Amino acid sequence: MSQSASVGECPHIPITVEFTGGLELLFGNVRKHKISVPSRMSDGSPTNISYLLPYLVDNLMQDQRKEMFIMEDNVRPGILVLINDADWELEGEEKYELQPGDNIVFVSTLHGG
Amino acid sequence: MPAKESQKICMDCKDADAILHTRHRHYCGACFKRFLSHKVAMRMSKFKQMKKSNGKAPKLLLPLSLGISSSVLLQIINEDIGRQFAKTFVNVGFEVHVLVVDAQGGANDDVYDAVSKAFSRLSFTKLPLHSVFEYVSEMGEIIAEYANQNFVDQEQATNEDRLTAFRTTISSPTSRSDLDSVLLTRLVVEYAKSLNCEAVIWGDSDTRLAAKTLASVAKGRGASLTWSVSDGMSPWGVNFDFPLRDLSKPELEQYLSVCEELSGLVVPDAPISEDVLTKNLSIDDLMMRYVRTQGEKYRGVMANVSRTANKLQSTIGSDDPSCPLCGGLVGNVKGNSGVTVANQSSDNYSAKFCYGCMRSRPESSIK
Amino acid sequence: MAPTACFNCKEARAVIIRPKNRHKLCRACFLQVFETEVHETIIGTNLFYPGERVAIGASGGKDSTVLAAVLKTLNERYNYGLDLCLLSIDEGIRGYRDDSLETVKRNAVQYDMPLEILGYGELYGWTMDQVVAQIGKKGNCTYCGVFRRQALDRGAAKLGIKHVVTGHNADDVAETVMMNLLRADLPRLSRGTSIVTASGASDIKRSKPLKYAYEKEIVLYAHHRQLDYFSTECIYSPEAFRGSARTLIKDLEKIRPSSILDIVKSGEDMAALVPSDGSQHSTQCSSAAAAAEDDVGGCGSQNGRTSGGEMAAMEKELAQNESAESRETEIRLPNRGQSSLGYQSKSVKKQTLGHCERCGYISSQRICKACTLLDGLNRNRPKTAIEVSVSAEDEETSSTLMRQMERTQLTNS
Repeated sequence: MSQSASVGECPHIPITVEFTGGLELLFGNVRKHKISVPSRMSDGSPTNISYLLPYLVDNLMQDQRKEMFIMEDNVRPGILVLINDADWELEGEEKYELQPGDNIVFVSTLHGG
Repeated sequence: MPAKESQKICMDCKDADAILHTRHRHYCGACFKRFLSHKVAMRMSKFKQMKKSNGKAPKLLLPLSLGISSSVLLQIINEDIGRQFAKTFVNVGFEVHVLVVDAQGGANDDVYDAVSKAFSRLSFTKLPLHSVFEYVSEMGEIIAEYANQNFVDQEQATNEDRLTAFRTTISSPTSRSDLDSVLLTRLVVEYAKSLNCEAVIWGDSDTRLAAKTLASVAKGRGASLTWSVSDGMSPWGVNFDFPLRDLSKPELEQYLSVCEELSGLVVPDAPISEDVLTKNLSIDDLMMRYVRTQGEKYRGVMANVSRTANKLQSTIGSDDPSCPLCGGLVGNVKGNSGVTVANQSSDNYSAKFCYGCMRSRPESSIK
Repeated sequence: MAPTACFNCKEARAVIIRPKNRHKLCRACFLQVFETEVHETIIGTNLFYPGERVAIGASGGKDSTVLAAVLKTLNERYNYGLDLCLLSIDEGIRGYRDDSLETVKRNAVQYDMPLEILGYGELYGWTMDQVVAQIGKKGNCTYCGVFRRQALDRGAAKLGIKHVVTGHNADDVAETVMMNLLRADLPRLSRGTSIVTASGASDIKRSKPLKYAYEKEIVLYAHHRQLDYFSTECIYSPEAFRGSARTLIKDLEKIRPSSILDIVKSGEDMAALVPSDGSQHSTQCSSAAAAAEDDVGGCGSQNGRTSGGEMAAMEKELAQNESAESRETEIRLPNRGQSSLGYQSKSVKKQTLGHCERCGYISSQRICKACTLLDGLNRNRPKTAIEVSVSAEDEETSSTLMRQMERTQLTNS
């Protein structure tokens, strides 16, 4: 994995990532993942959701079909993102900077009922 | 474009080399042009028919964007008039006036000059978009009421500044493009009325009409389809007609590629950038992109869209209140018992403006 | 970023932004507003009468789970006096329905509602596993789709219930509007948006109380109420999703979040603008009847969603008609049926619908598709002529299930 270079140097922050509404199927059928991510991105600024997305694809996603989760470098339309239970639009969307203990939920609305 | 090495012969004249291809047929340039002209002539024949029945050639206004489609329409109609004239000298089936609305501060003035010179048989007018304040005298009041507390119309300012001030209150690309086309339509209509035109002949291709249909639906303007993309009476007493409705944008582009008369006289389309993120597009752009990309695979399906809209029954002539801004119906079409409108919060609801216009209204609180 | 206060109560932290008006609401206010709007829809359309027995078509997915939860809440809050039950259909595919049926069973306990599970076996004498054993994996989807379409109605009839509610939401309705424009289907355009689709024959009324509810809000409602629902994988098949009207709708939502309801509004207006042909059929009756026939249930997990596959089939058909049609237009007199300015008067041909001679179900043919398919199965001759006339939507809604079945078989072996 390519991120190994950054590991070790900068401190990590623990967060919880959840995939529901069918998305869990892309992540080994596991809903809740406790992970820790580097607190700084390669340019030195605090880690945000933009950084988290490809990180999840590279490190957690088991399905090859990346476009099921990411489109145009952002979350695919139809997938909701909740940051500590709030719609991520209230928190600055992909620019939201991760805090220790954050709970990030990705919910797919694309499956039926 | 088809490659040169193909030895195909035109399927129409069975003589010249075929260089163009559409609808499973190969054509030479001349036959391709004839095929397209014929499709337009079919649509225009209703005007000649009118002349036959009441002896007076109807006056038509052709709004020219200087882009591909309306320029091809201009060329085809000009040729047709030329042919009629050659045959009968004065007895031409309709009279066409061309209007160019300039929304870009004269950026295409040189093209306009060249076009009006090249088509000297027709009369041309150029108006800036902000002259809508002049032609629709109550426009200042309308938009002041429409924009609510977000905008105060300065009547003493120049029309150009008034329009700019209004446009800057609208934050989203979708609403801006929506309101621009509302204002453009109003200006074209008022100008057509000032010339006593019977109809406006719009240069929308079938591709554009499909995109417009889908976009109108997505913007809550479904009830306006009966005139905004359909042949028939508009809310302002002038007919709207779409003589290019049987021709796709790619076909018009092919026409242009073999039409010497138009060379240098057309402003090329600004490409819909591939790298613009979807969420930053306007709904109009998204639909154009959708129809064009899907149209490559599903031409027939896309052609269905405007054809379906053209079958809807017009509400023009009913006593239902209409929107002072766009002319659309306020409230629901008779027989629609849906509760969407009632379901709106007071912010988005107006007894005066229609649903679609309220959706494009400047937001009262910028988020 | 400082927390935003709720637009409604001005106190609690806002956690959602409403797509239709961008209001920022806290959890409690959101749940309240969501429920109230469904209530207003129900009241505004006179959907129920006191004492009515209503079956909720339950798949265990988010839409029907939210529908059940909200109807239970409203029934108690506003004393509708409804007798609610859950009705689930089991296609009879081992390993596929198990999880969702388990979810429905838990829902029945959670909402204290009686649950009826009816299998294809009981309804048709054939489970899908048996159908597959008979005809193979290829083409079985046709059977599944056709059977599902009637299953809820037949199930309700069996229970003596005359009203089935389904979880179709605003996104589903918006998608239907777009699809009907693309397939130039005026009759469906005229009825696809109506909240109630009654079927004259079976006496069963179908309705969609969530037709004004955004899918996004349904998912958030389920999330914030911690509802127990099950999600299936089908929709994650890229071919079934790419290029579909669904993609378009999700893109639109990104651009202007209100647009889904705006499409529903446009669809309702257009429905009222579809010209009638002036035939002796009352519009009301024929359109309502037809609706029962084409309310595609999708793969149980897919609320009648459409896809590129359907468009491909449509395009093929159109291309076949094209050359003939274009020649026809060349010679047609342009001024037929002229009004003063030469605009043609508008009329559309209505579909004529009757009842299946065999089972009495609404059908445009003498024998309905389900009965024709059953005939074939029962005669041990699965390749019946119906295969060629099966509409694109039957094919499509079922192809995802076929993939499911392939997967299931793999895991079973």
